[in-house]
Amino acid sequence: MTLWILFALMTGLAALSILVPLRRGGDPLTAASANRAADEAVYMAQLDEIDRDLQRGLVDAAQADAARTEIARRLLAAHRQNKGETRTVGTRAAKFVQLLASLLLPAAALGLYLWLGSPHQPDQPLEARLQSDPQGQPVDVLVARVERHLAANPQDGQGWEVLAPVYMSLGRPQDAAQAYANAIRLNGASEPRESSYGEALVVAAEGLVTAEARAAFDRAVKLDPAAPKPRFFLALALGQEGKREEAIAAWRSLLEGADPRAIWVPAAEQELAQLEGRLPASLQPPRGPAAADVEAAAALSEGDRNDMIRSMVDGLKTRLETEGGSAEDWLRLIRAQAVMGDKDAARASAAGAREALQDDAAALDALNRAEADNGLGS
Amino acid sequence: MIVETGHFALVLAFVLALIQSVVPVWGAVTDDRRLMQTAAPVANVLFVLVTLSFAALTWAYLASDFSVVNVWENSHSAKPLIFKISGVWGNHEGSMLLWVLILVMFGSLVALFSGNVPAQLRAAVLGVQGWITAAFLLFVLATSNPFERIVNAPIEGNDLNPLLQDIGLAIHPPLLYLGYVGFSITFSFAVAALILGRIDAAWARWVRPWALLAWVFLTLGISMGSYWAYYELGWGGWWFWDPVENASFMPWLAGTALLHSAIVMEKREALKVWTVLLAIFTFSLSLLGTFLVRSGVLTSVHAFAVDPERGLFILVILCIFIGGSFTLYAWRAPLLKQGGLFAPISREGALVLNNLFLTAATVSVLVGTLYPLALEAVTGEKISVGAPFFNLTFGPLMIPLLLAVPFGPLLAWKRGDLLAATQRLYAAFGLALVAALAVFWLWGMKQVLAPIGVGLAVWIMAGSIAELVTRTRIGEVGLSRGLSRLVGLPRSAFGTTLGHFGIGVTLLGIVMSSAFQTELVRTVRPGDTFDVADYQLSFSGLAPRQGPNFTEQVGHFTVRQGGTEVGVLDPSKRLYQARGMPTTEAAILTFGFSQLYVSLGETRADGAADIRAYYKPMITLIWLGTLVMSIGGIISITDRRLRVGAPKPARAKIAGLSPAE
Amino acid sequence: MTRKQRRLTLIGAAAVVLASAAGLILYALNDQIVFFQTPTDVVAKQIPSGQRIRLGGLVEEGSIERSEDAKVSFRVTDTANTVPVTYVGILPDLFREGQGVVTEGIVGPDGIFRADSVLAKHDENYVPKEVADALKAQGVWKGDDTTAQ
Repeated sequence: MTLWILFALMTGLAALSILVPLRRGGDPLTAASANRAADEAVYMAQLDEIDRDLQRGLVDAAQADAARTEIARRLLAAHRQNKGETRTVGTRAAKFVQLLASLLLPAAALGLYLWLGSPHQPDQPLEARLQSDPQGQPVDVLVARVERHLAANPQDGQGWEVLAPVYMSLGRPQDAAQAYANAIRLNGASEPRESSYGEALVVAAEGLVTAEARAAFDRAVKLDPAAPKPRFFLALALGQEGKREEAIAAWRSLLEGADPRAIWVPAAEQELAQLEGRLPASLQPPRGPAAADVEAAAALSEGDRNDMIRSMVDGLKTRLETEGGSAEDWLRLIRAQAVMGDKDAARASAAGAREALQDDAAALDALNRAEADNGLGS
Repeated sequence: MIVETGHFALVLAFVLALIQSVVPVWGAVTDDRRLMQTAAPVANVLFVLVTLSFAALTWAYLASDFSVVNVWENSHSAKPLIFKISGVWGNHEGSMLLWVLILVMFGSLVALFSGNVPAQLRAAVLGVQGWITAAFLLFVLATSNPFERIVNAPIEGNDLNPLLQDIGLAIHPPLLYLGYVGFSITFSFAVAALILGRIDAAWARWVRPWALLAWVFLTLGISMGSYWAYYELGWGGWWFWDPVENASFMPWLAGTALLHSAIVMEKREALKVWTVLLAIFTFSLSLLGTFLVRSGVLTSVHAFAVDPERGLFILVILCIFIGGSFTLYAWRAPLLKQGGLFAPISREGALVLNNLFLTAATVSVLVGTLYPLALEAVTGEKISVGAPFFNLTFGPLMIPLLLAVPFGPLLAWKRGDLLAATQRLYAAFGLALVAALAVFWLWGMKQVLAPIGVGLAVWIMAGSIAELVTRTRIGEVGLSRGLSRLVGLPRSAFGTTLGHFGIGVTLLGIVMSSAFQTELVRTVRPGDTFDVADYQLSFSGLAPRQGPNFTEQVGHFTVRQGGTEVGVLDPSKRLYQARGMPTTEAAILTFGFSQLYVSLGETRADGAADIRAYYKPMITLIWLGTLVMSIGGIISITDRRLRVGAPKPARAKIAGLSPAE
Repeated sequence: MTRKQRRLTLIGAAAVVLASAAGLILYALNDQIVFFQTPTDVVAKQIPSGQRIRLGGLVEEGSIERSEDAKVSFRVTDTANTVPVTYVGILPDLFREGQGVVTEGIVGPDGIFRADSVLAKHDENYVPKEVADALKAQGVWKGDDTTAQ
């Protein structure tokens, strides 16, 4: 409400700046006589200056006379030019302008503002946002509040503990790892903290179980040998290191005692199947995203997810270009690029595939079909 | 609420400016005094509304209201207070709002302080001012609205470009805009006079203070920008002939010509047609500058955003105003009557010469600035026009002008005596010769141009004083009467002297610092001592330091001269966290007019650092000279003759030849 | 002097000044401008050594070598060709591998570009316009080439 009152006050001020002078009688001079008076003032002042110049001896008498004649001529000219006839003040024009100021001005300003402005959006100064009731606040405000609190009280382990999973779900695994590390330092090690720390590191490394992450999972298993999460990642690590037999053993032992409804079970089974070679190569996600990545992807925003997919596609492309691959792989790449809307890249990949697979008639056939399906006909 | 109030104020100002652009001009043409009367109050209310709007945006910056897109994009909660404020105009949208704010401020100043100008002319001037205001408010609202909101406000902003986080940025753009936009008043006066068909000596008298005011601000703004580039960019250069610099320099050159030609028009009613043209030309160059800087046609730190829509919009504004005013000029100017006559050798002649050279120099800068753009548009070939081009074109055009400066004020109106003027300048010439010989004797043939340049600078300085001495006739009337005559001189006479003297000072700084600077590029290790000119610098190492929103590596140098310590230099390399962007902060020590300048380059793990060190003799004179010029301008404005009111008592209008700058 | 003579003197003076200004500008435009070239231009056009040019492109990854007293060498690439560059002095803050750069100087007889000034982008979003255009041109050219296969 206050907002609209303020708007009304401003509009009123603007309208009055036109309406009040229109009602004033004002200067009775016509423009011509006012012009003449103003010109005269200037030329009289100039005449005066010449007298002073003469007194100071800066000009001689002859020069002063010549200058005076010139100014006198200007004075006369000003008289002549400003002899214009007196006009009566037009009331019609004033009426029109009155209408303009009292109707058009408010209407146009309001209309334009409603089109451009956001009258219902309140101010959001940062301090007030951080102080206000946490209920119903968007998550990044809450995060900033906790961050501020922790910047002031960096020894508050509980705070880090709360913040870490939030970072994870916001797609900030690096920050999450840091927060878990702080929580471990301040609250002591525990299985969930260590494995979450390790998981954050894995996500930050785009699915790779780094040495640091491995150490964390090792510590976690020591703290709770039955916990599935660290064992899942340790098995994944073995697979990544190329220790196939050990990895298969690890997956099997993990799956043995597992509740088949657990969320990680399908991912584990797939990993196992892949290691055992039970899946055709084309269906294997070669160096594909680890289960943790997929989980992370689900938590990501739309844009971040697209980035992630894009980076996977790029990875596949690089691999195919440098190491080559099966017909299926090439087709997957082309389809993915076409779906992402990058037709040029898809065409380029098709050309690459044609070259790589030139001896495989069936593959070329499939390639032609894929091109037609995806509207890549050249 | 505050933000939306600012937004509404801006919209309202736009609608009001539309009315302002019609009603007073209509009143002026039909001689309807009631319509004319609206001009001044509306101009004041426009100023109030845009000020409210600007204040609201400033508040949003201070409160870090990231629900405003503009604040989110250009601010950061950890930014120091001063840069939260200067950040308001450190971006495209905010700086355009500042542009408009200054525009309406000048309109309001005209409304308040030109009681001596007849109502008809004043109404038309404010009406034309309304056209410009409406056009630029439309531009702001349509393409560069600083009040756009985000529904889910982010919690932290993107911070301001660190290069712009400097006290220089706080001052430089407002000053520059005061100059740029100040010339809108002379433009409005010219267009209004063309509409009304009244252009006479009185017109020149009313216009001159506004031209002077704009010129003073533009001088200070350019000078400030140059000093900012000098210490912030870390290369020790103070002028790069960068298109953005040229964009501000061209209106300055044209404005300087305008100041001088307006004198002729006021005194002799000659050069009317030319002066009006110059007034239009000067503001057109200001608009061109705004277009070049704001459209992103040129890429540099000043082009905050590259947005073709904006560029096109400003281009359309540019074409309408420049094209429209020149059309009006072509139509109305032939109706103007010839003014007073004068001989080639006369004060008028000298001022015409000044105008000729300044205009030619403006054109050379204009060509050098636009040619690369034109060539690229036509052939697609990319070129750069740099210092060598301008040294070869601008330089030679300036030399005859500078040589002639001391003669001008000594010549009489109408018909001057060159011989007499020359005699009065013997002393100045002698001094210049001595200075040139001294430089030659001290440094020999190493720098051939230096003695000539120093001689020229001394010639201008001594010559401008000679003019004052001549006027007091100290030689004839004795010291005490001479001094009393000096005190009695009109202020504009001091203005002329200071303006010309300042040119000489700046020139001296330019010549000395470029001819005799010492430059050193080397790697230093902790404990190293090395010489820069007469100074011994010892490097004691690098240390990290934490700033409010940056971290920095600071090098520490102790400066000694002949064994005694005379100061320390702490140049640094900063890293601004929000953008991960590094900057170089040079360290400067001033000795007299000269400066020792050290900037840090690559630093290495073993504590060594690459540095660039300069000794720049007399370099501060470059900026001190512009300060002297500006003071001259301000003194001229305060000359009461320029403030002649409507019928005023004819007291104390003291004799004087002509005021310049 | 008559009115006409005075006017002629004025017009004459104006003509002389403007003509000399025009002459200077034309001469300087012929002689003092610097063309912008990409590494491909440098290789293809056989730019004579000694001619001043602006060379723009990306700083090749891993090509920066620094030695004593702020001497630095690096390679500028437009992905198709590269040109080795040497420079003595402090590099701009934003000079980095893989980023856009514009250098000005001359090509030496040995094919090494001796830069006397190096300009890097002003902020992280900025690539020198010439470089961006040139790279775009390169990219388009390559794209067409692949489709044609």
